[in-house]
Amino acid sequence: MLKVESLSAGYSAVPVLNELSISVEAGEFVSIVGPNGAGKTTLFKTISGVVPAMSGRILWDGEDLLACPPWQRAHLGLAHVPEGRQVFPSLSVIENLELGAYPETGRREWERNIERIYAWMPVLKERRNQLAGTLSGGEQQMVAVGRGLASSPKLLMLDEPSMGLAPTIADFIFEKLMEIRKQSGLTILLVEQRVAEALQFADRGYVLETGRVVLEGTTKTLMSDDRVRQAYLGM
Amino acid sequence: MAYLKSLRPIFAFVAIYFGIALFIENQYYQLMITLVLVWAIFGLSWNMLSGYTGLISFGHAAFFGIGAYTTALGQIHFGLSPWVLLPIATAFGALAGLLVGIPTFRLRGHYFALSMLAYPLAMLYVFEWLGYQEVTLPLVRDHPALYMQFSDHRIYTLLALAMLVVVVMITRWVERTRFGISLISIKQNEAAAEAAGINTLAWKLKAIAVSGAIAGAAGAFYAVVLLVVTPVSVFGMLVSAQALTVAMFGGVGTVWGPIIGAAFLIPVGEILHAEFGTFIPGIQGVIYGLAIIIIIIVAPEGVFWKARDILANRRAARARREAADPAAMPCPEKSEPSPFPAAEADAAEEAVAEHTVSDEIVLDVRGVSKSFGGLKAVDNVSFEVRKGMILGIIGPNGAGKTTLFNLLNGFLKPDEGDVVVNGRSLVGRKPHVLAAAGVGRTFQVMRPFARMSVEENVRVGAFVRARNGEHADALAREAVEKAGLSEIAGRRASELTTKELRLMELARALAGQPQLLLLDETLAGLGHGEVGDVVAVVRRLVREGMTIVIIEHTMQAMVRLVDRFVVLDHGAVLTTGSPEEVTKDPKVIEAYLGKKWMAHAES
Amino acid sequence: MTEGQILLESFLQALAAGLLIGAIYGLMCVGLAMIFGIMRVINFAQGDFMMLGMYVAFFIFTGFGIQGVFGSYVGPYVAIFLMVPFLFAFGYAIHRLLITRVTGIRTVGMEGEGHYAQLVLTLGIALVLQNGGQILFGSQLVSIRTPLSSVAWELGPFWGDFVSVFLNKGRGIAAIFSVAVILGLWLLISRTRLGRSLRAAADNPEASTYVGIDVDRAYRTAFAIGTSITALAGGLLATNYPFHPFVGLEYVIVMYAGVVLGGIGSTIGAFWGGMAIGLVQQLSTLVIPMQLQNATIFVFFLLIVVLRPQGFFGRISERT
Repeated sequence: MLKVESLSAGYSAVPVLNELSISVEAGEFVSIVGPNGAGKTTLFKTISGVVPAMSGRILWDGEDLLACPPWQRAHLGLAHVPEGRQVFPSLSVIENLELGAYPETGRREWERNIERIYAWMPVLKERRNQLAGTLSGGEQQMVAVGRGLASSPKLLMLDEPSMGLAPTIADFIFEKLMEIRKQSGLTILLVEQRVAEALQFADRGYVLETGRVVLEGTTKTLMSDDRVRQAYLGM
Repeated sequence: MAYLKSLRPIFAFVAIYFGIALFIENQYYQLMITLVLVWAIFGLSWNMLSGYTGLISFGHAAFFGIGAYTTALGQIHFGLSPWVLLPIATAFGALAGLLVGIPTFRLRGHYFALSMLAYPLAMLYVFEWLGYQEVTLPLVRDHPALYMQFSDHRIYTLLALAMLVVVVMITRWVERTRFGISLISIKQNEAAAEAAGINTLAWKLKAIAVSGAIAGAAGAFYAVVLLVVTPVSVFGMLVSAQALTVAMFGGVGTVWGPIIGAAFLIPVGEILHAEFGTFIPGIQGVIYGLAIIIIIIVAPEGVFWKARDILANRRAARARREAADPAAMPCPEKSEPSPFPAAEADAAEEAVAEHTVSDEIVLDVRGVSKSFGGLKAVDNVSFEVRKGMILGIIGPNGAGKTTLFNLLNGFLKPDEGDVVVNGRSLVGRKPHVLAAAGVGRTFQVMRPFARMSVEENVRVGAFVRARNGEHADALAREAVEKAGLSEIAGRRASELTTKELRLMELARALAGQPQLLLLDETLAGLGHGEVGDVVAVVRRLVREGMTIVIIEHTMQAMVRLVDRFVVLDHGAVLTTGSPEEVTKDPKVIEAYLGKKWMAHAES
Repeated sequence: MTEGQILLESFLQALAAGLLIGAIYGLMCVGLAMIFGIMRVINFAQGDFMMLGMYVAFFIFTGFGIQGVFGSYVGPYVAIFLMVPFLFAFGYAIHRLLITRVTGIRTVGMEGEGHYAQLVLTLGIALVLQNGGQILFGSQLVSIRTPLSSVAWELGPFWGDFVSVFLNKGRGIAAIFSVAVILGLWLLISRTRLGRSLRAAADNPEASTYVGIDVDRAYRTAFAIGTSITALAGGLLATNYPFHPFVGLEYVIVMYAGVVLGGIGSTIGAFWGGMAIGLVQQLSTLVIPMQLQNATIFVFFLLIVVLRPQGFFGRISERT
């Protein structure tokens, strides 16, 4: 479904991503792990078009995604839940979710989606008229995830959903994601620092370091490979 | 000496300008050639405040108008000569600057710009209400020269040139001293400037006083030359706009900007007005406006910088062409990252042994805590740093590392705990006290002056210790050398790679001659080869007696650099120990790889 | 009539005048708030956009037979509302051609994140409009006066037949139109998909892109709406006051004062800000000489920014 081919990208002349290639098939759950600064977030932003690509290709169902303007990519079924709980702080929770349903598909299936989102994360229903900026970190993360789901995406891209959250809340968010995935069969591309959690439920994984894939394979192979540990701890 | 040398171009300009002025017979053109200088001086006044501090003033007409009315009314009501009134107007301008600055410097950005707009407009209405709609300076028949009235207009040009030279000299002097360094560092990062021991409010007030004084003098001279003063012609919005426009057109933050801007815009406007003004009123304004629009689109930071960039790029291109000769060209430093650098490790390990850690405690952190709202960002953190050691503080995102640094250098005041530097408790003291006590730091976000050279950038950091300009130069040179940047000391910051920028940031901190250096993610975003280079510099510093505390997300490069780790997670110390101990600690592995890692790894 | 009654009457009269002019100022400020509040762009030419709107309305009224068809009572208002699409297109084009070059992603690395450039660019636009206006329209005063501007409703008399307040009909109708437009705009912003996308783009441009909003287009639309709203306010003002090509300068500060007072980022707050400015202006005439009316606004503005820069209705604090 998504195919990234020898992609180089970055903010200045020095690329953050070096000829990186990954792919995601429909129905898969793929995790990308790697230490901070490895280029995980940049990869997501390049897929979304916020960071320009320097060379390489990104194919979406066989079509060239780089030819689409960034805002149009959401309309193609890509939902990017950015890192750091980026909600619309001065809009209410329900308005945040409605904005998630900005693309055509989201509007068509709004009734069904909102029901499911509320069922998965009842706290959002309770807080629906509260301004998103006044919520706690975990609740904001749920708003961000809910916003992603509200577009009925073909692919949900989650960037470090556990970042900056207390461990118990991070665990809760993970459990919710697994529940959602089990029930909806959604295709997920996840970026995480916490390797174990990220790989536990994934079908496949990539290990990123300094902008390139250093290791890839099924979760099992990755978790038994010493080099993962080395990538993080240095010895 | 360097100061005088920097004035050479301006003396050349003045000589040529006066040479041209001598040959102009037409009274109207004579007036114009004088007015160019008046507006250039006014533009320099604006540049003094806004160009160097980055606080945009829309209200410089306030000072200009005060100068003009002081001269006009002083002569009418008190019979004083402009020779006396000019210094008085200058003083009034300075005073007005202070009076405006004290309340208005509480504001920043848009708010500052907009409030400055209100001052001259309020004065405009006040002067209209007072009945000074049109004030004419009386002609003096006896001894006109005593009243600055000359039949030969070229004398006005000469006077204006003299004023311009004085103002340029002041500007150049400010640029070279701690005055200018302070203003520039305020523009760059006011918080960091405050941290480096700069009393930002005091310097801004000095800047607006000097700026107001120059504008007052320009206004006074304007009144003398034109002999008529109206509220709109000296307090009007277009007057403020004029200051800003000539400076921005020519280039902000340089003495040449306002001069270039005035020399081009004023004659164009005046000639258009003279040629077409009678049958197309307003043509001057339209062309003027279009010129501004075009310049902003084509060269948004002014003609001077655009021209310099073009020249610099051409020079760089030529250098590249010459360097393309393969024999002369060193292989570009392309980081060739092997995923797991084995070779590097060997070299690194022997280096670690080279430095010795003494028993002397440089920094002692005792039970420091800080909460934001309900969240404990830093929770009862204690550790000590011995002289000559490299301490690494690591932890995942959001572990509280940067907050901890902010507590150590005085940006934040801890809720609890003590910070002891060389036996002195400095907890809760202002950043500049800690800076003076020898605690230097780098910042995670680098904000170099893109157009200044490496050495000029580093010079800003010498401020804390430097006694004068020469001393600052010396400290900067030394720091550049220590950071291994001597070869590119003259290169513009905009041409640097990330690695070179990091090293420059390091050099800037070194220029303040700290004993203890806090490095905030100095290795982040670097490729493998580059990390090695920066690590080598850090090691060399330690060998020379520096003590270092370094924050980093990743452990990769750190395990071979530091003597000891403090691992933070959720604001608290998870564990401390040598790299070997820490990387084998299950708690650390859990924090980094997730709590389920151990279970999986074992199975 | 006692002295107290005279005082009371002039107070009530100033209050009424302040409320009426305040409603128009409020509309003007809301137009600016769409631009300054949403995009953080200082538009120096906002007053001149307003001036342009006034002239366009004037020419529609006099040159296109509107006066003949609708008469001099209804005609001016028809002309003013017909002007709105022109100014919307004008604002859209100005943003597309010029403003977009000094905002957004292109300004990264520019001095002051492009604020310098925005200021000077809009200053250039202002100069072209003012002086171009002088060339095209001449500098004599014109107006779109309705006969209603010379008649008044009388409220009262109160307190024993002595104290009564006169409301100028022309200004009264302008104020009613202003409030109606504000209500319409408020509905647009808070209830529609377009409004939601504008607020989202103002709140978090990056996340807006991720949900599929074309942020550039949202900004352009906001700029065009802001331009036409301020122009509409100008048109309503012109039914009571004559104007000339340099009229914009007089109102630029009024607008910024209102927006800051209302709290940057709050569109509806800007209306109350403008209202407050109108009241201060009119009430100040009770104690301060007429000629200093405008100086009072400036001093009031300075007091606001220095004492309460977040404004009185600011919901989103200024992002640094």
